[in-house]
Amino acid sequence: MQDNSAALQAPIVKSIPRRRTFGDRIIIGLALICTFIAFSPFGYAILTSLKSEWKSGDIIPFLQFEPDLLNWQQEFGSGGAETMKALRNSSLISLGATLVATTLGTLAGYGLARFKYGVGNRNLVSWFLSQRFLPPVATLIPFVLMFRDLKLLDTLPGMVIVNATFTLPFAVLIMRDYFADLPPEMREAALVDGAGEFTTFMRIALPLARPALVASTLICFAFSWNEFLFASVLANRDWKPYPMLVAGSDTVRGIDFGFVTTRMLIAVTVPVILSLMVQRFIVRGLTFGAVKG
Amino acid sequence: MTNNRAKYLFLMPGVIWILAFTLFPLIYSFGLSLTNYRLGRDPKYIGFENYAEILGIGDEKVDKKAVSTASFSAFLFLGSTASTLIFGTFVAWVFNHSLPFLRQMRAIVTMPLFAAPIAVGWLGVVIFNEQSGPINNVLEGLGLGRVNWFIEPMPARLAVMFTDVWQWTPFVFIIILASMQAIPDDLYESARLDTKSNWQLFKSITFPMIAPALGTVMLLRMVESLKIIDIPYSLTRGGPGSVTQTYVYYAYEKGLVGSFQLGEAAALAYLLVIVAIVISSIYFYRVRERFA
Repeated sequence: MQDNSAALQAPIVKSIPRRRTFGDRIIIGLALICTFIAFSPFGYAILTSLKSEWKSGDIIPFLQFEPDLLNWQQEFGSGGAETMKALRNSSLISLGATLVATTLGTLAGYGLARFKYGVGNRNLVSWFLSQRFLPPVATLIPFVLMFRDLKLLDTLPGMVIVNATFTLPFAVLIMRDYFADLPPEMREAALVDGAGEFTTFMRIALPLARPALVASTLICFAFSWNEFLFASVLANRDWKPYPMLVAGSDTVRGIDFGFVTTRMLIAVTVPVILSLMVQRFIVRGLTFGAVKG
Repeated sequence: MTNNRAKYLFLMPGVIWILAFTLFPLIYSFGLSLTNYRLGRDPKYIGFENYAEILGIGDEKVDKKAVSTASFSAFLFLGSTASTLIFGTFVAWVFNHSLPFLRQMRAIVTMPLFAAPIAVGWLGVVIFNEQSGPINNVLEGLGLGRVNWFIEPMPARLAVMFTDVWQWTPFVFIIILASMQAIPDDLYESARLDTKSNWQLFKSITFPMIAPALGTVMLLRMVESLKIIDIPYSLTRGGPGSVTQTYVYYAYEKGLVGSFQLGEAAALAYLLVIVAIVISSIYFYRVRERFA
């Protein structure tokens, strides 16, 4: 986990150097307002989830109630089988997709960083990334028919394929950038020693790329975890992932705020925590390398 | 293993994956768009009739719902892109100072971006709720009165937009902050000899230096805004009526809910693919040096 803490500490806000002034206090005030706006909906949801009974006339939920864990107990306790199954599905789907995307992405990323290809490396990278630009419905419609014919509807392999496809561009890009920044002499030295290309990759490059590998894994996992649209069509029974439960929160009991916010918080916790661990890689990952972080 | 064979072995698995699961579906989708396929019926080739029907070419009437949903998507395309750029740049400017606690706060500010959009939509349901939601309570407390966020068309559109802006402002923020941090300090130091005004410094140094990154982010936001479906799906179900239904949501509904008119839905989606191709071509043209 050492790599993660390094990733967290890496970006340091470059200062516009000057003394602490009245202006600085204004800046801190503005930063606090931004932080409040970003966090308060989550905070409100947390408070709402801790409130099991709504009385009419309750306007401000956090001034006039006694917090309890009934909603959370219900989500994991009595109504827990559905929740646990969806969480299991989400975990397995995201793990599988991450494994596929990171493996393919690492190989392709290494290739693109180290070799020259006839069609042009730039074209190849753009081609890998272009998937992210497509409106998902355009591929969703044929996926329904393809999966029906291949008997992949509502299966783990089917959902892994879908999510690996979405996240592969992130993995390719993060890995390519990292490999390109490693000194080429290392690889050349290993090759001179008689090691083959693949041995050099496994023994030299891959261990050095561990931080990027961690980042790619976490980003792919977080994005797979959040995917809803394809799941809503391709996996609506046995392999329903957690976002599907969140989407269906109202049909179960009308809109019960405590219930809805509990589910919502469960859904957002995993990717939000993962994202905090890979802040350094996020800028490049999200702009497909167009802006160096 | 020769160098030549090895290099293709690294690349090929990824290439094959994209060919099979992105390129092939895209071609398949185009083929479908030329048929009148509905689930459970045999597809028949009808040429570009689906497209003619949507666009109202020839003796067909234009698909009114396609137009109205496309106009809501255009509303988000403009409104959400512009708002996230402005707010994101402002937040980045605020956080581009070396002051205590900004690092910790910065991590919190990026949180909305990583929450599942479908869950963010539900968060909106709670926050915008007309009776007990905090937004209406605050508005009433300020004496501005309550807003019927889910009943009236314009407030509903704005609720979807605000929710999307809340989620995506951090995206602009982290990217623009990174590009602000790449500006060398001495540029500011020499400029500070001429002016003390923060606004002047921003206008003459910061803005020109972040302009390329802003252009990049703008294109990415444009593409993403055309894909919006999860948030209205859970926040408004496209309502009231269908005023908050986005174009992709309409294509989704047409092809994958109810009557499963896959051919027509594929044609709807394909029209958007063309827009996406145009925007992404501009994007890749702009950032070509990075990939060289």
